[in-house]
Amino acid sequence: MSTINVLGLVLLALMVLVGGKAGFQSFLALLLNFGLLFLAIVLVAFHFPPLPVTLVVGVLVLALTIFMSSGDDLSSTVAFLASAAVLVILVLLIVPVEHWALVQGFGPEDSEDLEGLSVLVGINFVQVTTATAILSTLGAIAEAAMAISAGLSEILEQHPKVSTRALLGDGIAVGKQIIGTTFNTLFFGFFGGFLALFIWFTGVHYSFGEIFNDKIFVSEILMILFAMVSVILTVPITTWVMTRAVAGQRKRAAKQMNEK
Amino acid sequence: MQGLLKKRKVTLGLWLVVLLIGSLLVWGTQHDASLYRDPIMQVTSVQKGQATKEEDDFHNVDYQTKQKLSGRILNGKYRGQKLTVTNTYSLSGAMDQHYRKGSQLFIVVHQHRHGQLTATAKDAKRDTALIFMLWLVVGLLLLIMQFSGFMAFLSVALNGVLFLMAIILNGSTQGARVLWIFGSLAVVFAALTLWLVIGANRQMLITLATTLGGTALSIIVALLVFHFTHEKGMYYESMQYVTQLPRPLFLAETLLGSLGAVMDESTDIISSLFALKRERPELSATQVFKSGRQIGSTIMGPLINVLFFIFVADTFPMAMLYLKNGNSWGYTFSMNMSMGVVQSLISGIGIVLAVPLASYLASRFMEKKVRA
Repeated sequence: MSTINVLGLVLLALMVLVGGKAGFQSFLALLLNFGLLFLAIVLVAFHFPPLPVTLVVGVLVLALTIFMSSGDDLSSTVAFLASAAVLVILVLLIVPVEHWALVQGFGPEDSEDLEGLSVLVGINFVQVTTATAILSTLGAIAEAAMAISAGLSEILEQHPKVSTRALLGDGIAVGKQIIGTTFNTLFFGFFGGFLALFIWFTGVHYSFGEIFNDKIFVSEILMILFAMVSVILTVPITTWVMTRAVAGQRKRAAKQMNEK
Repeated sequence: MQGLLKKRKVTLGLWLVVLLIGSLLVWGTQHDASLYRDPIMQVTSVQKGQATKEEDDFHNVDYQTKQKLSGRILNGKYRGQKLTVTNTYSLSGAMDQHYRKGSQLFIVVHQHRHGQLTATAKDAKRDTALIFMLWLVVGLLLLIMQFSGFMAFLSVALNGVLFLMAIILNGSTQGARVLWIFGSLAVVFAALTLWLVIGANRQMLITLATTLGGTALSIIVALLVFHFTHEKGMYYESMQYVTQLPRPLFLAETLLGSLGAVMDESTDIISSLFALKRERPELSATQVFKSGRQIGSTIMGPLINVLFFIFVADTFPMAMLYLKNGNSWGYTFSMNMSMGVVQSLISGIGIVLAVPLASYLASRFMEKKVRA
């Protein structure tokens, strides 16, 4: 058996051992997310427009990740709506910045990997790179939205009468608790992946000016920054969606009371 | 009411200051050419040529266009000189740039015998976009999260400096000890970050022990699996930008990548358990362990997902290029995505193992009565 399969089985076994049914569902979500990501690549290779494909796949990934992990209905729905809103805002930010920064496709550091490959494939790489940046932040958006909405629904459980204005403040407070560790997750996640590239830069003695204008470096750093912006924005947006949902629920409850 | 109004005014003022700093930074990086040694040209007019159709062996159709860029040099000894540069760009633009009026680009100037200057385009100047995004992150962080945002930024900045130092150290040892360097760095990273986020107390020590334990266990499990499967299907040659022995580098990358997520998770679980114990001091160690496991099993899935998308989405452009060059799905996966997937799996194992570890350590070593 190949290493990848054995590692997958070990992960599955551990997730079921630790999390039971929830663990199994999370593993399934991971598998399906991989399928969706691969599907996106194949669709773009078949000349489907990269941005719409990314948006559809993005929404599906968010739904899968959020609804397949255990959480109550209210917090899952709020997390999903908020993360979808963040995704849309993020697209509006990433598209112009990627056009501006000119970081599409590959850099001179990739020449060895590109040997023997034709790069003139007729697919707009600005859009492909934009899609890549959006996809790489999906996990972070889902995680942050779930953390905030779970925290808020816990507060609602303990103080069911809390005013929507106070809830706004609570949301930011929950956000403050998670922001430090979430940023570090992103930092280490991305920098772990770039380790080889950074070693390359110091090995070949790039100057600072060369590094800060290098296509690959700028493109990778932009990805981290997009992810960080999306996590920051997730905090107020999730809180806001939660207050709307709670206000709606209360209105309906009041109406029912009146009808009785 | 007046206090509220005043507070609003202060916030508004703060937003204005941040906006002003942002526009200054963007303006500054557009006029920082004199900081660079390589000559930079600003394009003042563009002459577009005819697009030519290209078709490769795999029937991919693309269009290439030649453009003549006229502009003026912004820095160095040729400052103020007017030049014309020819540039070719394609519709896909994977390896070339489409410059427009106002673009700034690095050029290589060739001086001929009669004082004539010609030049070739080298690469685009990208620092403005980079600075803009950096400003956006820091600005939003400080405005929305205030002090916590500042601490988050500080810990990332400090970790960045340490990371840079470790890379330089790695370079000076020719990469022979990459795993040791980044392994010990992981300990420093974790201790520093947790100290900044939690403060120096018992809770921080338990979180640190969990983080290091979980990360170390995941690497040990990975090495065991590598040993028993003889690393079948591990395509180290498919790793990008590798300039030294790939296997230890791969492990170092994985170690660093999972460290943040494991730290995130153990902080969450252990701080919730401390809060729980504070509210209900009568809970027994077994009950605390059970709650820890429950909290952990709801957050581990989304966290593994975060890393999965960071590790694997990055391979999108190259994987797509492989597909367009007539490679099979299986080969494309093996050569581009398999190493990222292996990294996600190993990190996932660390994240899952940290759940019982955090719950056990917290239930066992939490003080009988947590001081509020």
